[in-house]
Order: sequence, then structure tokens, then C-alpha cells
Amino acid sequence: MLKKLIIGLSAASFALSIHSGIAMADKADSSLTWATTREIPAAIPYYENVREMTIIGMNVWDGLLYRNPKTFEYEPLLAESYKWADNKTLEFKIRKGVKFHDGTNLGPDDVVATYNHVAAEDSGVLTRRNVSWIDHAEKVNDDTVLVHLKETFPSALEFVATVLPILPASIWDTAKVGAQGKPDYATIKPIGSGPYKITGFTPGVSVVMEKFADYWKGSPKGSPTIKKVTYRTVSDPEAQIAEVLSGSVDLIWDVSREKAEQIDQASLAKVVSSATMRINYINMDRAGRTGKGKENPFFDKRVRQAVAHAINRDLIAKELVGGASAKIHSACFPTQFGCTEDVIKYEFNPEKAKKMLADAGYPNGFTTDIYAYRDRPVTEAVMGYLAEVGIKTNLKYMQYKAFRENVWNDTAGFHEGTWGSYSVNDVSASTSAFFKGGRDDYCQDDEIKSWLETGDTSVDPAARKAAYKKALSKIASEACWLPMFAYSRYYVFNKDLDFTPAPDGFAEFYATKWK
Amino acid sequence: MLIYALKRLGVALLVFVSISIIGFVLLRASGDPAIALAGEGASQQDVEYVRQHYGFNRPIYIQYVDWAKRALTGDLGDSIYLRQPVSQVIAERAPTTLLLGALSLCFALILAIPMGVLAALYPNSYIDRTALTIAVVGQALPTFFFSLLLIVIFGVWLHWLPIAGNSSWKNFIMPSIALGYYATPAIMRLTRAGMIEVLSSDYIRTARAKGLRRSTVLFKHALRNAVIPVVSLAAVQLGFMLGGSVIIESIFSLNGLGNLAWQTIRRSDFEVMQAVVLTIASFYILLTYLADLLNAFLDPRIRTS
Amino acid sequence: MVSIPPKTTNTDFVPASPMSQKLSRVLNHKSITIGGGILIVMILMAILAPFIAPHDPFSQNLTKRFLDPVWYPKGTWEHPLGTDSFGRDYLSRMIFGARASLLIGFSAMLISGLIGTTLGVLAGYFGGRVDMVITFIITTRLAIPVILVALVVVALAGNSLSIVIWVLGFLIWDRFAVVMRSATQQIRALDYVTAAQAIGCSTLRIIFSEILPNITNALIVIATLEVAHAILLEAALSFLGLGVQPPTPSWGLMVSEGKGMMFFKAWVIAIPGIALFLLVLSINLLGDGIRDVTAPENRN
Repeated sequence: MLKKLIIGLSAASFALSIHSGIAMADKADSSLTWATTREIPAAIPYYENVREMTIIGMNVWDGLLYRNPKTFEYEPLLAESYKWADNKTLEFKIRKGVKFHDGTNLGPDDVVATYNHVAAEDSGVLTRRNVSWIDHAEKVNDDTVLVHLKETFPSALEFVATVLPILPASIWDTAKVGAQGKPDYATIKPIGSGPYKITGFTPGVSVVMEKFADYWKGSPKGSPTIKKVTYRTVSDPEAQIAEVLSGSVDLIWDVSREKAEQIDQASLAKVVSSATMRINYINMDRAGRTGKGKENPFFDKRVRQAVAHAINRDLIAKELVGGASAKIHSACFPTQFGCTEDVIKYEFNPEKAKKMLADAGYPNGFTTDIYAYRDRPVTEAVMGYLAEVGIKTNLKYMQYKAFRENVWNDTAGFHEGTWGSYSVNDVSASTSAFFKGGRDDYCQDDEIKSWLETGDTSVDPAARKAAYKKALSKIASEACWLPMFAYSRYYVFNKDLDFTPAPDGFAEFYATKWK
Repeated sequence: MLIYALKRLGVALLVFVSISIIGFVLLRASGDPAIALAGEGASQQDVEYVRQHYGFNRPIYIQYVDWAKRALTGDLGDSIYLRQPVSQVIAERAPTTLLLGALSLCFALILAIPMGVLAALYPNSYIDRTALTIAVVGQALPTFFFSLLLIVIFGVWLHWLPIAGNSSWKNFIMPSIALGYYATPAIMRLTRAGMIEVLSSDYIRTARAKGLRRSTVLFKHALRNAVIPVVSLAAVQLGFMLGGSVIIESIFSLNGLGNLAWQTIRRSDFEVMQAVVLTIASFYILLTYLADLLNAFLDPRIRTS
Repeated sequence: MVSIPPKTTNTDFVPASPMSQKLSRVLNHKSITIGGGILIVMILMAILAPFIAPHDPFSQNLTKRFLDPVWYPKGTWEHPLGTDSFGRDYLSRMIFGARASLLIGFSAMLISGLIGTTLGVLAGYFGGRVDMVITFIITTRLAIPVILVALVVVALAGNSLSIVIWVLGFLIWDRFAVVMRSATQQIRALDYVTAAQAIGCSTLRIIFSEILPNITNALIVIATLEVAHAILLEAALSFLGLGVQPPTPSWGLMVSEGKGMMFFKAWVIAIPGIALFLLVLSINLLGDGIRDVTAPENRN
């Protein structure tokens, strides 16, 4: 069989080299096509937080600072320089000579307008955590902007450098009125000042970016070699692989381990396994948002802990996800500042899980829904382990947007999610996004909230770490979350593409070239 | 003939209206449209605003009449997910599905009719047996499985054909074969049976006795008569294929109505769902109506019954 | 009451010479035996599943994923058909998977049979207005794209086994209705039925004692074919993810689950796909065979 397979695939490769009209076309006209299974319903930062949009955001918009993907240090971008004026005020000197994609000049007014708009309570920004630390911004003179913080927030610069792109001041007025009679900011024109500009967008289907000729010189992002980058949604993983093999798509990622290994063995494309900052977790309803009685078994701590013991996270990480993926114990990504694995650890022990369930009043287990939106095999493996201790699950698998809504409207109490923290390397972007109250918080514990608040706002790093450790310990002992594993991801791409996956998970197309 | 056409038109319109009602009821039963329209993170007030503004609090038959009035002017509402008018979304995808349907039908006819004729000419021979086997296999092979086999064999092992997207006509070859194959058995059997019946009729025996050449007898007389019921069947099968395109389109990543339906179901974009069901149903209704007219034209007995 | 075999409405009928009459009887006999044989094997497999399956179809073992079946160099008899993406024994899942197909197929057939036969008999017997209305209902049902509506309803109402069965049952009754209607019309026209009416037999009695027994043959044929139809629909729904839910084994779902590896290990989709094909084939053969055997021209 193997011999037949190799012969078949070699014939395919040979045919590929003859029929590779399309592949040559992409390289010849210096364009690149990448695809994932996800849909991008709106191509606007702040109002669409699916990861693919965040990546496009990094390519199409600039923020005030740039975080170097190798050193994680901050470099000047739209701000020529910055300093802390005091503990709660940041001062930025804005670069001159920067143009937006529509030809207008970028100035302090645009910075101020952006920050003030997103920081407003009713701005409708999807991830409030990213902007909730901003009080307001003000223009001091023609090249200086002050950003006032609500509290001391030492990781502010992380956010400035990764999740705060600058939009033109007038852009917010181009929003169409939505069904509720209010402006729907997801409909504004996607104008930025980054190395690429968006020249085409079909919701849920594709996004087209083209090189922006007037991108300012001297940017740490450099100048793009590839002229046109097209994102396409290809929701069928097999179709993705077929398209990479036939050349109509140049780059895909999140390829499952067994497929990536087969492709690598047969040398059909370049396969790279790279760490990401994404973690996978299972959220359980401790807060009683879906009920406090038999309809919500997870209200009982013993049930949550039983779930923690029932799932073999090591095997899932090693066998299903593969690469460098490993089990985690804390509700944060291991390299993030403030993250610690020194918390209570739940080892894989199905017998103990069954006993705990019996103690909690479920000797024969129970049935529940489980919601998920990506990496379905992982969820199914989880379902298999839960079934073995008596917890029967009905899978509700859906696109991210629908999943998000169900989590936020108290329907999806038991769900498996993932979080990339926008690649911000600080616990304030992960733990604090989920446990400080708010729509994603199914734990709702006042102690945890206050420790996280302390951690977020203390200036002294040691004090921050101590506070975060207390919060993380309680999260673990209460088993609000079951942190599952840190992702390692397989990239599969055209062999002629010179593409290096960044450890922070951002695909920097402006730094990608054809060989 | 005219009266017959008008009568059938009346029925067609009535069926169309019934389906629009069914679709509408299905839509409203699926959940609170006010919540869906109000969007993510909408507050109670936002939802109430939407409810008032769009009249979701009125009785359902009034809502239907309203919807129908708008639909007659071409306004089928807006897609919540895509933020585009539904009619635009459908207009963009419909050509792909129609092309797929037409090509599939062509494939089915090209395969089925000659086979049916040959099988009729040599009944119980091994040509007949082969035709029968193809028919029997076609009816038993699940379409999705057949599609995957085609992809593996022709798309990957032999690398002859592209397997995703609709960038060129080549993308339609495998989907048409997969979709058309399911219609082949019925058309073939009907052709065969019709041909056999016609061939043994007095009319044909007379023609043969008159000394007409075999091929003349075959094509000018026998086939033309045998083909009449096949026309209806072909129209019906085309209608079914348009409805069954959802599987094929999602496997081959063709951006047509079927794929749209599949996506909107997953995205809970209800206005679009209803419009897609209605669109596909109306194609079917149109096709069967035209088939009825053609039949009546070819066979006068039908008009007077 | 004399039982008169009804004229079937099938268009496959071949006015035959004595030679081919004998020939077709033999062939049909084969149809019934082959089709019926395979079907019985599958039904037994489904019923006896817990006893003949070598492993628990749900027990997963992530260290044993995608083991090859026994005819490959690395295959073993421990897992004769290999394992799936979660390390579950494929043979056991195949055996249990027959249950989903057969259960849903037969149940949906019963529901649709009930609906369709009732509508068809009423339309055929009463004619006139009743017939007009029922024919209209049938025409409307035919215009509805079945898969789409099934997907929509299941997506909205959830995908429990019973919902799938009811949805399918409520969607595929059209062939029952059409065939039973014309069969009823033919019986209705016979003299002895008018005679029964004349002597004052009640409508219900006539329907049950005169009409129904004589359309039973056609009913059985259509019933068999609709089981196959329902099985294919369920497989398609499960393949798209809206039918039987994981981890319950269903052949359509197994094809979908195996799709990921189809470029590298074709057996993962080939095995359940071929099983589906064989099951549907056997049912179709059986139905065709019954139809030919009960056609009056084949009787002496």
C-alpha cells in the first residue's frame, strides 16, 4: 500500500509540475493566497476578533508601537518615541509624513479619535479587555498625544503595540445604521496606514490586500515584497490540502498532526511546526449563569474537578495536536508575565472522577451539551473521555460568531474554547479577560476579581506576580476552567515560499517572500 | 392549450405561495428574529427596539403579508451575517448552481439515453445487463461517497482535475458527474422501457415493413415518441438535483446556492435560509411547469384529460 | 372477497416473450435471494451487535489512532478493520453503525408509509375535491428540496435520533402517496367495489377489506425502496454533520470522519461507503425482485 501510495503521489507531483500553471502564476506575479477554515464576517479591527482578522489587522494597520516578534521588545512605529509621563499617563510623539490608504495624512487627531472612540463604554468593541484600561486621549500639540489611564496598568504598552491600530478620525462617521437604530461600526471602510491596504472584501469568503505604495520608509515592518495577499475561507480541511498541493493556495495552517506528518513524509509541501500563544480550555459554569440546580451540574465543585480528572490532556496534546503542544495547569499561557504553573494539578484519573461524580450525586453520570467552534477532533476526544466516566455529551459545533453569542447569552455553560491573548505576553490579556467579571466570566468570584485587579494595576512587578499567583491558584482549586494545553500549530505551505512563522503567531506578510 | 397552460400556471403559483408560507413559518419558529437582528451583545433595549421597528410583535399572518409585499418588489430582506441584501447574495450564487444542474443533467442524458436505447435494442443481452448494472449501482451509491471517490481518484492520484472552488470550467466536471450519476438510472430505465414499448408497436412495425432504414425508424419515429415521458422525468430530476446540490457543492467547495444554504444554516442567518429554500423550490416549480407544457404540446391527449 | 392482483404502475415492465419470461423469473429470483440475503445478514449484524462486536465501539485510545486493517503489513487481528481517528475499533463501529442506518431507515419508512398511504388511498378512493386537494399537497411536497429542509429543521430543532426520524418520515411520503393513489383508483374502478357500495357496505369497511389487501403488493415494493431512500438521506445528513451525532457510530458519519485521511488511507472512507452501498443495493434488489414477482404477467 505504501509503495502504491508513493507511486501515486509521485505521479501526482510529476503531474503537478506540469500542471502547475496556477502555482507559477502566484509566484510569478508576486502574490500569495492563504486560507483557513474560519470565516471573516467583518474586516475591521476592534469589531471582529477572529484571529485571521487580527492578523490582517497587523498587516493593514499600524499602531503606535511595534513589538519585535523575536525579542518581544517595543520599537517605534507611528510613535517616534514614548515615555511614561507619570504612572497613569503615557506620552507619545507622533511621526510626521505618514499617509493613510486614502491619501490623507495621519496626525495626532486620528490617534486621539481612535483611542477615545474605542475606550468609550458604548463603543461596542468586542474585546473590552483590550481597551478598558484607557480613560481618554488628548492632543497636546501638533506632534504629541497623551493617553490617560484609568488606573496604573503596567502592561499598557503590550496592548498599545499589538491590539490598538490607528484609524482615521473621520472613519467612524462612515458607519451604516444598524438594526437597533445605532451605528454599526462593523460597516466602516477599512482604511489604515499599514504596509498593505484592503482592496477587496467578501464577508465570509475572502479578503484581498495589496501593497500600499506610500507606506512610510524606515518602518520596522519594512516594505513588502509580495504585492498582493488574498485570504480565502476554505472550510473543508481536505480541500485546503488539495489546494496547497495543486497550487491555488500557498499557505495554510492548523493542519492536523496526522495529515501534516503524511504530507511531510511524502515531501509534498513544506511543513513547519511552530509554537503559538494559543491555549485551549474548558469552561464550566460555576457562577450559575445557566442555572443552579440539576440543569447545571457544573455548579458543584466536585463535578468540575471530576471533569479535570477525567480527561487525559497529555495524550490529547501529544497524540492529537502534536508538535510541541503540552498540557498546561494554569489559566494563562506559560510565557506570559505573571503566569505560573505552581497551582493545584489535576492528574488523569478516571476512577477518581467517577467517585467524585458519585459523591456529588451523579453515580450514573449525567447528560449535557458541550459547545465548541474549532479543532473538533479535540472536542470529540474530550467527549470520549467524559463518556467513560459517565458524562454523556451532545456536541454543538458552530462557527466562532455563533459560539461567541451562545457563550455571552448564558446558553453555552459548558464549552471548549481557545484564546490567543492577541499574542499579548502578559496575564492581563488572558486571565483578566476571563475572570474579572464580564460576558466570558463563568466563574464570577469576587476574590479572584480583586486579585486580578491588583495584578493588573500594581506597578511593582513582584506585587503583580504575587497577586496573579493568588488568582491563578484559586481558579485552579475552584476548577472554574480546565486549562487543557498550549497549541503548537502545523503550517503547510508552498516549498518556494520563504515564510517563517513567528512565535507570537502573527503572520507578517510584509516580511514574506518568494524564493 | 391556452386553458391548460393557465390552469397549470394557477397550480404552480399556488404551490409557490404555499412554500413561501412554509418557509416563513419555519423561519419564525426557529427563534426570535429580533435577537438575531439586534446582533451580538445587544442589550434588552436594543432587542426591544428591533422588535418594534421591524414589527416582530405583530401577528404572524400580518408579518407574512408584509414580507410577501416586500418580496414581490424584489426585497427579500438583508443577510445579518453578510450585511448585504439577500437578493444580491442569491443572485451572486445562483448561476453556479444552475450551471451545475444543467451540466449534471447533460451528463445524465448523454449517459442514460444512448444506454437506454441500446438496452432496448438488445434486450437481455450483456449490453442490457451492463446498463442495468450501471443503473443499479447508481441508485445504491451514496452521492457523497461517490464524490469523495472521484476526488481521490481523479483529483489526487491521477491529478487530472481541480477539486475545489469555481475558478474554471474544469471545476465542474467531477461535481456534474457525481450529481448527474444519481439521475442516470431513472432516465435510462424510462428510455429503455419507452423504447421497447414503442419498438414493438404497430406503428413501428408498419414503418419497418415499408422498408424504411433502421436508423430512420430509430431516430425519426421511435425515439421521438419514447422521449416524451423522459422530458418530464428530466425536468423533475433537474429540480431534485438543484435541491440535492448542497452536498456536492459543499464537498467540492463550489460557491452556489447549495453551499450558501449550508453556510447560512451554520451561521443561523435565517432570512437567507428562507430565501434559498424558496429560490430552489421556484426553480423546480418552473421546470415542472415547463415540462407539463411541453408534454401537453407533444401529446394532445394530456390537454383534454 | 376475491383478491385481484392490481395492475402495477411501474414503467419497467417489459412485454416479454415466453423465453425471457422464464429468464426474468430466474433473474428476479436471484434478485430476491441476493438482496434479501445481504439484508438479512445486515439486520442480524445490527441486532446481535453487542455479542459479535470484538470491542466497545466507544472506547477510545489515543495512542492507537489510524491503525491499518489486517490486510496491510502493519495490521493485526486485534483490529481487523483497523482503528479510527480516536483509536476506536473500526469493525465494532461498523457493526454498531448498521443499527443507525437500519433503525432510521425502517422507522422513517413506517412514518412516511402511514402518511403517504393514507393520503394516497383517500385521494384514490374519493376522487373529486379530495383528490384535488391531496394532489396539490403532493405537488407542493415535491417542490420542497428535501435535503435542504431536513438540514434546516434539524439545525433548528436539534439532532436527536427521533427528530431525524420524524423529519425524514414527514418528508419522503410522496412516492407512497402517488403509487397508492393510482393503485387505489384502479381497484376502485372495478365492478365488485361498486357492487359492495351498492349493497351498503360502509366506506371504511370497503377500504379495509377490498382496497387495502389488493394494494399491499405495491405497498411492500414502495416500502422497501423507501427504506433505502431514508438510509441514503440519513447517511447524507450524518455526513454533513446534522444527522447522527458523534460518538454514536453511523456509516455516513464514519465517512465524514474519515474524510481527513482519505488521501492517505483510503480504507477509512471506503469501508463504511461500501457498506452503505451494499445495504442500499440489497434493499433495492429486494424491492425490484418483489415487484417483478408480484407483477401478474409473471404468474401463470
